[in-house]
Amino acid sequence: MIGQGRRQKTHIIALGTITFLFVLTLAGCSGIKLISEYDRETDIAVTAFQKKMERFLIFLERNIGKEKVEYKNNTGFYDGIRVDLSAIRVRASAIPKNEITIQQIDLLIKNVGNLESIHKLGISQEDIPPLRTAFNGSCTAILKLELTKKRDTH
Amino acid sequence: MDVSELVSDMLIAARDVLGRRWPEAKGYAETAFVQIAEAILYIETQRALGKMSQEKARLHLDIQKNTSKTVMLTLEGLELVAVEAAINAALKVIKDTINKTLGFLLI
Repeated sequence: MIGQGRRQKTHIIALGTITFLFVLTLAGCSGIKLISEYDRETDIAVTAFQKKMERFLIFLERNIGKEKVEYKNNTGFYDGIRVDLSAIRVRASAIPKNEITIQQIDLLIKNVGNLESIHKLGISQEDIPPLRTAFNGSCTAILKLELTKKRDTH
Repeated sequence: MDVSELVSDMLIAARDVLGRRWPEAKGYAETAFVQIAEAILYIETQRALGKMSQEKARLHLDIQKNTSKTVMLTLEGLELVAVEAAINAALKVIKDTINKTLGFLLI
């Protein structure tokens, strides 16, 4: 029994040492990476999305009540912005250790769907400020993380 | 409804869940909860005026909840970057000693 316990302890120590050396080897010269590298394309695409959304919200705000604001006349905007977000998501998915950004893009896609549903129900002047705050908040959060991924290289 | 009271209740609940991570998360949580509370206030006002359906109210709240999740995910990412920097700094400190002891460049 005692011999078995000692053998188990030795195994645990050996496993610990191997794991430690494995981590060190993985770290190599470039160090450990827990999250993806900064991606310039994601940065540019999310910034472009924010501009497009802001332009659309301004358009809605200025033209509430007019026929051109009706949902049926703006389906093209939703189609276009969905394609943009799909492209951002596909790119984000191709980058290793980028799960957090992918989840954030998915939430942005959901919110575009929610905006479209609100638009279908009939959008009012008062609806715009909270929508703007939400989309700007989401884009700021995504960009903040992306820029932090640049890391300090020295 | 009082926005500051709503925010305060949400912050207390979040603080209990976040535990040790609370000091870093507080600022992000506060921003996110203020947005949710303001959305709820907006929904309440519009509902009182008879200008908002239940369906639209749910959509507005869902948008704010998704935004809050996005903000908290950023916090999670920032923590990962910080942990990564700490591990790499620790490895850098022991690099010379380990390589010298082992007689080859492991790190």
